[in-house]
Amino acid sequence: MKKRSLLVITISISVLIVATLLFPAGCAPKPAAPTETTAAETTATTETTAAEETKPGKPFEGITLKAAFIGGANYEEMYKAIPKFEEETGAKVEIVFKGDGFQIDKKLKTDFAAGTVDYDVCWDHSSFYTQYIKADGIIPLDDYFTKEELADHIPMILNAGMKDGHLWIIPRHFDISALHYRTDILNDTEMQKKFKDQTGKDLKVPETWDEFKETAIALQKLLPAGVYATEFAGKEEALTGRFYEVLLAEGGQYFDENWKPAFNSEAGVKAATMFRDLYKAGAMPPGMTGFVWEDVAKNWVAGNIAMYTEWYGWYSYFQDPSASKVAGKFDIARQPVGDGGIHSGWAGDHAFSITKASKNPEAAAAFIKFLTNEEQQYNESKLGFLVTRQSVWEKIIEEAKATGNPLDVKRLEFAQLQASEDFKTPPLVAEWLPSSDILYPILQAIILGDKDPKAGLDEAAAKVEQLMKDAGYYK
Amino acid sequence: MTTEKTIKSKEIVKLARVSRERRGRATAENRHLPIVLLIPAIIILAFVVGFPMLYSLYLSFTNFTLLSHASIKFVGLQNYVTVFKDPIFLGSLGRTILYITIAVNLEFILGLLIANAMSHIIRGQSILRTVMMMPMMFAPILVGFQFKWIFNDQVGLINNILYEIFGRPIIIPWLIERPLGFISILIAEIWMSTPFMVIVFLAGIMSISPEILEAAEVDGANEWQKFRHVTVPSIIPFIYIAMAVRSLDIAKAYDLVSIMTGGGPAHRTELIWTYVYRLAFTSQKFALGSAMSYVTVVIAFAFTFYFFRQLIKARQIRRV
Repeated sequence: MKKRSLLVITISISVLIVATLLFPAGCAPKPAAPTETTAAETTATTETTAAEETKPGKPFEGITLKAAFIGGANYEEMYKAIPKFEEETGAKVEIVFKGDGFQIDKKLKTDFAAGTVDYDVCWDHSSFYTQYIKADGIIPLDDYFTKEELADHIPMILNAGMKDGHLWIIPRHFDISALHYRTDILNDTEMQKKFKDQTGKDLKVPETWDEFKETAIALQKLLPAGVYATEFAGKEEALTGRFYEVLLAEGGQYFDENWKPAFNSEAGVKAATMFRDLYKAGAMPPGMTGFVWEDVAKNWVAGNIAMYTEWYGWYSYFQDPSASKVAGKFDIARQPVGDGGIHSGWAGDHAFSITKASKNPEAAAAFIKFLTNEEQQYNESKLGFLVTRQSVWEKIIEEAKATGNPLDVKRLEFAQLQASEDFKTPPLVAEWLPSSDILYPILQAIILGDKDPKAGLDEAAAKVEQLMKDAGYYK
Repeated sequence: MTTEKTIKSKEIVKLARVSRERRGRATAENRHLPIVLLIPAIIILAFVVGFPMLYSLYLSFTNFTLLSHASIKFVGLQNYVTVFKDPIFLGSLGRTILYITIAVNLEFILGLLIANAMSHIIRGQSILRTVMMMPMMFAPILVGFQFKWIFNDQVGLINNILYEIFGRPIIIPWLIERPLGFISILIAEIWMSTPFMVIVFLAGIMSISPEILEAAEVDGANEWQKFRHVTVPSIIPFIYIAMAVRSLDIAKAYDLVSIMTGGGPAHRTELIWTYVYRLAFTSQKFALGSAMSYVTVVIAFAFTFYFFRQLIKARQIRRV
């Protein structure tokens, strides 16, 4: 009997385990259905006393919207306003995931592939959304946003979210890089004299990439040990993007019109050679190939760098005297021009999309409208983000004039100028990141002297071409 | 009388047969019971390990990517051919084998020396054992962050110590230059994992009968001779087990390398699993990543099989 009981218990446990593993969704609570009012209830409502006001029905009462968002640091502030949306619309919002940009990108890709999307609104980005289209994870937004609703966004940024004639993302804030330079180095009279004595040329803010390279290499000889003329983020998509914007400025392209890799052109070799020569001359920190965004920003605020290209979004950190040794000691300029006659301007915007799995796209669209309305964008601009609504720009530029710091205004005016003239997204294809994954280790090898620039770029181009072929781009 | 005896004998035989049959049934039931009780665990393993492994094996014969999951098609052995033609994979494989070889052997030598030294300490040995185990208590990710800071070329501990010694900035890119990047990761790995060897060898040394060591002393053996001819041969099974376990652990190395260098720059510190991860999740080539994983698993199985054969041989020699 004892053994029989043991057997029965074992079999019961096995069945329970199988049921749990096979049918996990059965345990999840179903979303509350909108309540239906009966005719009697409606009559009772209209018969309320005069002292009571009749409240209008909220448009999304009973609906729960789920969201997967980017999180951390200043991104979190916006989410504190969500209760206001809930109060106004009756919808409930549940953030089911928060992570940094790369974490959420991986989550979205794996969820779209596995069909396990359980959220309506997701974070998106101008560099990433084409992948999600290919993965059939998001829907076009044309039916949910009118032209009037979109008119306030900076057109170049809005257009970065258009593919195949449809709008896929609504921008939250954007970023573009400016040349940041130390005024206590480049404007220092003693340094300028030494530079002139050494090179015969004036030390000034470089306007072309050729000038940038020459200035950095010459300046490095005059800087104290541990201080470098410049730096770049040196790995992953960060390095590919920095190379890409110099490539474009030099008149090159990443892909040609037939989607064949074109970055191994003369312009590409010139761009890669610039990075290599700067590193070889010791004008960049030796650990540069291990840097991503936080590392280059930390080097800058530690006072270790004379000039480099950086996103505007770091401005408030750079000007915080408690965190930055260069607060009040730097200025900004537009990125240099290359042989192609254009300024560099690799840019992107964080945005929102609606998932294909959403059962409430109208409510999701309303949520996105709330998150990107004038009030939310104005609040985000106070944190240093570059927002996308033109009406907000007018307001914040006026406010910046009142701070007394001319750089506060200059920064905004430059950013606005760059957003309208220099804004360049990476190629709007899902293969941007996979191609970057092929290219950046080779760029690192070129920088470190392991590979010749032309040979390395040719090798990368061959691999990227195979990637595009496997993805079906060539008939 | 004879009849009575016969009847009694027959009854005894019958009773004995019944008793044997009952014992046989009980033995059969006992034999099946452990298997039955293991069924829940087997089911969990099948779902959590077995099914994903079989599915990823299937994917390794397709062109599956995370983005084109809807248009998956069978490609036969194409991924496996690509794997063996990929110079980055072959480089990672060679680097991983070198990494395992150096790490395991250095951990073995250091572990044995430390364990032998500790076995001679009588007072405070338990405290010392606890302190020794501390590196093992840290998650590999934390160890990675710790050593990434230690070896940072700008603000790292090592370069700052050198600055204090030489009085001028010494900026050595520990995580960038060849072979410094590889050595830096090895140092982190050895620091983290040598305590495991110490603990296992110490247990082995403490299991040696004191009489054997006394006998060796009486025969005139010095410390080194006792260590070489008595201690080490006595703990051979412990050595094999520790080295087999550590080899498999190191072969899975991912988190430490991922945090410290990401396998870069330019694949200089690329090990198999950092490459497979990037291939599968960043480049989205899931099928190719699966094929690489299976090639690696087969190599790991062969290695483990060899190791345990050697262990069994060593134990047989010891019995003889």
